[in-house]
Amino acid sequence: MEIGLNHYLVLSTILFAIGLVGVMRRKNLLMLFFATEILLNAVNISFAAISHYYGDLTGQMFVFFVIAIAASEVAVGLGLLIVWHKKHNNIDLDNMSTMRG
Amino acid sequence: MELFLYTALFSPLVGSLFAALFGASPKTKIAGVVPSIMLGVSLLSSTILLVLVLTTGHTIHVEMMTWMATGNLYIPFGFVVDQVSVTMMMVVTLVSTVVHVYAIGYMDHDKGFNRFFSYLSAFVFSMMILVMSDNFAGLFIGWEGVGLCSWLLIGFWYHKESASWAANEAFIMNRIADLGMLIGIFLIYWNTGTLQYDGAFAAMANLDASTLTWIGIFLFVGAMGKSAQFPLHTWLADAMEGPTPVSALIHAATMVTAGVYLVVRANELYALIPHIGLFIASLGAFVAIFAASMALVNRDIKRVIAYSTLSQLGYMFVAAGLGAYWVALFHLMAHAFFKALLFLGAGNVMHAMDSELDPFKMGGLGKKMKGTMIMMTLASVALAGIYPFAGFFSKDLILEVGFVEHHYIIYTVLLFTAGLTAFYSFRIVALIFHGEERYKLFGFHPHEAYKFMLVAMSPLLVLAIIAGSFKMTYFDMVTYVLPATEYHVHNHLVYWIMTIGTQLFVILSIFYAYKKYTSRDVKVPDGTSAMENSFKYKLLINQYYIPYFYEEYLVKPYRELSEIFWTKIDQKIVDATVDGIANVFYQTGEKTRVMQSGNLSTMLKWMVAGTVALLSLAVVFGLAARHSGEIKIFLSGLGV
Amino acid sequence: MLDHILSILIFFPALAAMLGFVVHKDSMRAYGTAVATIEFALSLWLWFVFDANVSGMQFMEQIALVPTFGINYIVGVDGISLFIIILAAFFTMIGIASLGETKDVKNMIITLLFLQMTMVGVFAALDAMVFYLFWELSLVPMLYIIGAWGGPLRIYASVKFFLYTFAGSLVMLVGMLFMAYFYYQATGEWSFAILDWYRLILPESFQIWLFVAFFFGFAIKVPMFPFHTWLPYAHGQAPTIGSVILAAILLKMGTYAFIRFSLPLFPDASVYFMYPIAILAIIMIIYTAMVAYAQKDIKQVVAYSSVSHMGVIILGTFALNVEGISGSIFLMIAHGVVSGALFLLVGVIYDRRHTKYMSEFGGLASVMPRYATIFGLMLMASVGLPLTINFVGEFLSLLGFYKQSHILTLLAGTAIIVGAIYMLAAYKKMFFGVVTKEENKNLPDVNKRELIALIPLAIITVWLGIYPKPVLGPINTSVESVVGLMHEKAITKEAKSRIPSIGKDIKISRNSVEEAH
Repeated sequence: MEIGLNHYLVLSTILFAIGLVGVMRRKNLLMLFFATEILLNAVNISFAAISHYYGDLTGQMFVFFVIAIAASEVAVGLGLLIVWHKKHNNIDLDNMSTMRG
Repeated sequence: MELFLYTALFSPLVGSLFAALFGASPKTKIAGVVPSIMLGVSLLSSTILLVLVLTTGHTIHVEMMTWMATGNLYIPFGFVVDQVSVTMMMVVTLVSTVVHVYAIGYMDHDKGFNRFFSYLSAFVFSMMILVMSDNFAGLFIGWEGVGLCSWLLIGFWYHKESASWAANEAFIMNRIADLGMLIGIFLIYWNTGTLQYDGAFAAMANLDASTLTWIGIFLFVGAMGKSAQFPLHTWLADAMEGPTPVSALIHAATMVTAGVYLVVRANELYALIPHIGLFIASLGAFVAIFAASMALVNRDIKRVIAYSTLSQLGYMFVAAGLGAYWVALFHLMAHAFFKALLFLGAGNVMHAMDSELDPFKMGGLGKKMKGTMIMMTLASVALAGIYPFAGFFSKDLILEVGFVEHHYIIYTVLLFTAGLTAFYSFRIVALIFHGEERYKLFGFHPHEAYKFMLVAMSPLLVLAIIAGSFKMTYFDMVTYVLPATEYHVHNHLVYWIMTIGTQLFVILSIFYAYKKYTSRDVKVPDGTSAMENSFKYKLLINQYYIPYFYEEYLVKPYRELSEIFWTKIDQKIVDATVDGIANVFYQTGEKTRVMQSGNLSTMLKWMVAGTVALLSLAVVFGLAARHSGEIKIFLSGLGV
Repeated sequence: MLDHILSILIFFPALAAMLGFVVHKDSMRAYGTAVATIEFALSLWLWFVFDANVSGMQFMEQIALVPTFGINYIVGVDGISLFIIILAAFFTMIGIASLGETKDVKNMIITLLFLQMTMVGVFAALDAMVFYLFWELSLVPMLYIIGAWGGPLRIYASVKFFLYTFAGSLVMLVGMLFMAYFYYQATGEWSFAILDWYRLILPESFQIWLFVAFFFGFAIKVPMFPFHTWLPYAHGQAPTIGSVILAAILLKMGTYAFIRFSLPLFPDASVYFMYPIAILAIIMIIYTAMVAYAQKDIKQVVAYSSVSHMGVIILGTFALNVEGISGSIFLMIAHGVVSGALFLLVGVIYDRRHTKYMSEFGGLASVMPRYATIFGLMLMASVGLPLTINFVGEFLSLLGFYKQSHILTLLAGTAIIVGAIYMLAAYKKMFFGVVTKEENKNLPDVNKRELIALIPLAIITVWLGIYPKPVLGPINTSVESVVGLMHEKAITKEAKSRIPSIGKDIKISRNSVEEAH
């Protein structure tokens, strides 16, 4: 069987769905970051696959940008997470509601 | 000459304002004397004007200043002294002067002495405006003005609940009628373009019958209120709550005759709509007998005299309705004299008896109060219409009018009422002045009124006796402006039978009354006798239950409806709707506030949901835009 | 200086108010009274130099604000607005002079002066945006007066008053914007000037929608049934001076706006809506009179009576003839005087006993005779006794409307009956009878400070009732031109027949709008 573009897109969609469900359901902040990473990487796969399909390198450039941004976001986020953990000793999302309206 | 007009008109106002200066101070005699003098001045001016009009036949017409001028409407303050108005002026000023002087004595011990004269003179001023105006708007000014002063005077003893209630009743009932008059005035303006008497009446000749009928009806509705014709009559009897001089002036001689004056003044209109005139006459005849029946059993001397006034007003309207305007005016004049005299005499009796009103508690007062007795008896004789007193010439003339104009039913009703009139008048006289001295059982110590009060009343007595002799002079004068129909029963035999028959009938009634009420068996009725419990008696003494009807079916429902409007509709429906709309916004805010939980997880969920929704919409609309042609064909196939 | 007298009249109180912040609070009363008196004197001077034979706008001023959209500061005065401006100045003057014991009297006087600016501004404005600005601005001082000095429910009452009126005005604003757009479509220029809009003839369907939009703004302000429920709360909770100014002037903004906007701009729509509005007016008259009869609180009686009289004013306005409209404007003045006086009188007794329930009184006529006399005079004026100012207005309004419909005028005429019923009943409860309550036995009669306000009002009530000509004359001249303009502009046959023609030369250049879309 030929692995065509569709297969990559399907893979990407599945991964995106997993990431989305994770983002919606995870109560642990760390797990939230994991899910976000999965989301971003799903998009990366899809970018790379399409770029290879069209022979346009722009897509693969995007992948690099996304990887870099994901890394910096995780760095900042983990830093904040550690500070929060030091203060409250847990990282359950349900306890972080000081912005309640 | 205009000077006399203005003097006659404004002297009462000057007197009123003078007395008003002392309004809040304790009683001072001058607050009574000066208004009386000013009224005397007014009387003098009116007399001079009367002589002038009588001898030269000239009328005086002045326009004092503009009142309202807008669009095509022009209403001035204008006054006219013609034969009709000068007659009214004489009656008003004469009776007013007598009443003022009388009241100096009557209100002697009253705390509100100064205030009383202010109100009384203000009333005379309003009445003068009413009779001297030359346009309908001025008439309306005087009309409402006398209504106001009547309210002030009926409710003069305002600490009495019954008095202020009666005052409000009078004012409101008059207002109901005034609405009719106002509509009549509007009709006149929009159809003739002016409210001046001469212009309006001249233009009315060209109007169609239905418009004229409506004008006549509405103006008469106004007259019904002032002259207390059925069904707007209950206020007159209740108005006896006011001091007796008020009753004498307002509710015998002047204010209540304003309605008759209106019909007489508008005779050119009513001559064009004789069917309305017939209605007026029929109503008048009904009121005459209706009021007389209620006077038969009443135990309040002032109320009896009030019903008597109502009855006589009915007579006047019969004459006016049948086109005998000069006769109506003549009876108005004669009636003013003897009725005012009766009231003032009743005032003397009340004063002597500590304001007791039940004649059954009196009796034999003739021994202590000779002067009053003579006056009241003679006044009653005049009222009964015995020759040669004034009443014969005026009242019996109305009977003749009815007969000559072939309205035999009206004639019979009026004839019967004449008998009733004599009966109830002399019932009162007999009960008060003759028979046993029942007052001794109740501890009263009656005394005659002050001499000057009796002296003040005497001009009325003289006029009540001799007024009949003025008839021809009066006729010659007033027919300059009123239709000069003479009413003669052509057949001499019939005439003599009528006249003698009427006199006999009346004299018999008088004797019957005397016999019945001077006998030794007369006692104060205490609710146990058979007569008192009979249906007829109950009907009459409760005024045919009409006041009860008004109270139960008009006043109370209005009050309850107002409560319902306030609590159920305004608060529960209208306001609740407004608050409800506001509440909707508030509740929406409360409900959607839940979204702001501050919980990241929830917010992420909302974000996802929102994105999915928007994306779907975008896809759907994009597809619809791309395939719009096919969609249209599909929908038209479905017949949409 | 005469050229700018209107701007002076508008802005002088506001400037004085700002200066008032530095005035010491003990001399604030004198300062306020002086400012208000100067303003009143200026307004009288305006009357003196006003030419009563000219029917158009006088003392006009124009300053460009946003030229691209034709928004200019235009002010002018004619017979219709002149007397309401004088009334505004007069009431501010006697209101400040007769202020009783008030906490923070300095704030109160500053607020009143700002309010005066907005009031005069509304009546002098001849540009729709300027009009709208002052119209909305007048809500703010009133909100503050009710909210800071009012009774127990003051926050509810003031917020309700503000939001309700504001919502209506927003609908009106939409209408104004549409009107400006139509003008632009027809002439190619933007303008918000009312006098320019007078020249525009709109098709009937446009007129009807715009009339409805403007109607909401005005009707809530008047207040017409069923938009009236804010008024009893506002009056009930406001301090005396707030009620006086609200009843005397602020309510007139609505009825004035009907004559200034709705009638000349939309003559056909005015005729189209004449009967429904007349029926609303009759409901206002009779229904609120009956509700007034059921009240226990004397201030609420007067508040509802206010609404009842506004019904007659609306009826006179929609008579669409000279007699009716002149009558309604005169009745505006009259109602201002009499209602203002009645609220002042209620304030007198409230100052003494701190209650407004009629059951707490009774027999006051023997304790306070002067008070009873003035109250009686104002009562008689309120029920429309001839030779008082109210009668002239009511008579003319009803006379005018009679031409349009006999039956409706008969129903509206019952105003004189129902008015007498509740007023006499209230007077009897308060003043007649014996004094039953101990606290009432020694109440002091009206004092000098209260008389300063009441005596001039009583004099005006009688003087203008006997001699209304100096006021009725200029009103008549201006109203004739308005009615003439309406007749010229009317395009439907029914409108042409209902609105009388004046026969004088009314020049309008015909600019009509084609169907826009």
